[in-house]
Amino acid sequence: MKKVIKHIYFLMLLVVLLPSCMNEPAVQPNTFKGNFVSLWQIIDTKYCYLDYKHINWDSIHSVYASKVDTVKKELTFFNLMGNMLAELKDGHVNLYSDFNASRYWKWFTDYPSNFSSALIGNSRYLGSNYLIAGPFHYAIIASGKVGYIYYQSFEDGFSNSNVAYMMNYFTNCKGLIIDVRNNGGGSLDYSKQLASYFFKVETVTGYMRHKTGNGHSDFSSPVEIKTPADKNIQWQRPVMILTNRMSFSATNDFVNRMKESPNGIIVGDKTGGGGGLPLSSELPNGWLVRFSSSPMYDAQMQSTEFGIDPDYPVALSATDQANGIDTIIEKAVALIK
Amino acid sequence: MKKILIFALTIFVYSLVSAQNADEKKYLLTNKTNTFGISTLGFLDPYLSPLTYSGFGLNYEYQTNRFLSVQHTDISIQTKFNIETGIALNPQMSSDMLYLGANYGWGLQYHFAPFHGFRFLAGGLLDLDFGMKNVERNINNPVNLDMSANLNLTGVAKYDIPLRHKTLKLQLALQTPVLGYMFVPKAGASYFEMFDLGNMTDAFHFSSLYNKRGLNSVFTIDVPFNRTVWRFGFKTIDLRYSANDLVFNRSEFSFLIGTTFDTFNFAGRKNKAPANFISTNN
Repeated sequence: MKKVIKHIYFLMLLVVLLPSCMNEPAVQPNTFKGNFVSLWQIIDTKYCYLDYKHINWDSIHSVYASKVDTVKKELTFFNLMGNMLAELKDGHVNLYSDFNASRYWKWFTDYPSNFSSALIGNSRYLGSNYLIAGPFHYAIIASGKVGYIYYQSFEDGFSNSNVAYMMNYFTNCKGLIIDVRNNGGGSLDYSKQLASYFFKVETVTGYMRHKTGNGHSDFSSPVEIKTPADKNIQWQRPVMILTNRMSFSATNDFVNRMKESPNGIIVGDKTGGGGGLPLSSELPNGWLVRFSSSPMYDAQMQSTEFGIDPDYPVALSATDQANGIDTIIEKAVALIK
Repeated sequence: MKKILIFALTIFVYSLVSAQNADEKKYLLTNKTNTFGISTLGFLDPYLSPLTYSGFGLNYEYQTNRFLSVQHTDISIQTKFNIETGIALNPQMSSDMLYLGANYGWGLQYHFAPFHGFRFLAGGLLDLDFGMKNVERNINNPVNLDMSANLNLTGVAKYDIPLRHKTLKLQLALQTPVLGYMFVPKAGASYFEMFDLGNMTDAFHFSSLYNKRGLNSVFTIDVPFNRTVWRFGFKTIDLRYSANDLVFNRSEFSFLIGTTFDTFNFAGRKNKAPANFISTNN
């Protein structure tokens, strides 16, 4: 019996002592230098587009490390780190503190907007008597031939019932326009759900990978992104998707899915991209950093990070705009007719 | 007079025999314990954040213990059900983590008493763990699930302190995971990819002392009052596990208060309650 007790005692001792062998990674000190190193390392090991965008992250370290040494104020440090992240030229990269949020917006500010809310509010389109089903604003336009839906954000959810009512309302229309211009994204689930009404069968519409190691090109094997076909609601007539540079992130994903739909046609400007699913992490000072982590691809395994080209590139004409006409909607109407 | 004597003698003998029968008949009681705890918590979950979150929690545990049968009083069956909730903050208090956890355990323990006054129990516990940590401000990685099935080693030391009017019962219970299976996501894999696209590659891992170590210790003292026995004590949990190059840590210190009591279960055709036991179910 003494032997048994000895063994039990030894085992307990082993259990107490062993955890010290499983080391937790060291956290940088909460100093400007420590937070800089932490942020640089998060991007170095977790950001997914360093190689794809040919960014020399080591040289960026050299540039900014010397600047960090001269920083005295927290706001200056925040702006410096925001500038460092802006080198990634990615709308999915942000730094959040209690007093500010850094952002990179040149992916749409450097381009024509190709959208005017005043124009779609014109009586030729939505007017003032449009209907509202969940997040969708909709109306019948072009002398009753075309159904028009404006969807402002994929952050706003909807139900099958919302869509069923709209489709029923558009029963006598030849085609449908879904306007996702200035829709900055939101939930990929809503993107999938909305696209599912336009597919007859489940279809592989893209791929996704994720970082598997610290190397800039350490990625998992691609996983298929499938768009299902909704069993109850189906629209199998022409559907035009209107895009501009502010069609970003989950909207980019929706456009990518609709490119593979049997009746989907993309009209307008190139989308803003945002093909990397963002994740987040924290710095020792409690700031949150958001970054692209899982790159997404189209059905041909091409990256969607820089945007998706429309089938019919159309820009908003200044002359049309002055006359209350939305050139992109008019092109979509013409394609349906 | 003779008749009275014979009647009294008959009653005496009958009562003696009945008493002997009562002495010989053994009843298998189930010890049931309910404890509530208030705890300090510490979580390191690198899937959610590289920082350690610390805070407070509340927990409740229901535990039953009974011997295998009246013939086998050296082996007991233990069941445990524990639920816990807590909230923790990052060191800069700029973000909070909500924790919800549940645990179910079923095990057997062998009883032995090598020293006078001490009793020891050693055995194993099949343990199912389900926990959820939610850092709401995170983007696309706001939640991580702690899911595991474990075979734990358990050990208990008991010592009774007899006082003038009551006996205090001291107990130290230790538990450590030995083998199991656990869910640990890859650092770069989003829940969208895992649960929406169904890519669960490298999400489930075999666990052993190599990658999962911990010690759950509970020290309690049972204090009898007039008609109740109250349990006071504290519990510590130190759990560390690793997979997919991520190291997780959970630490907890709880103050416990509860009651413990023995019950006898009447149920079924062969285990009916005696007539002098009154039940709403009769």
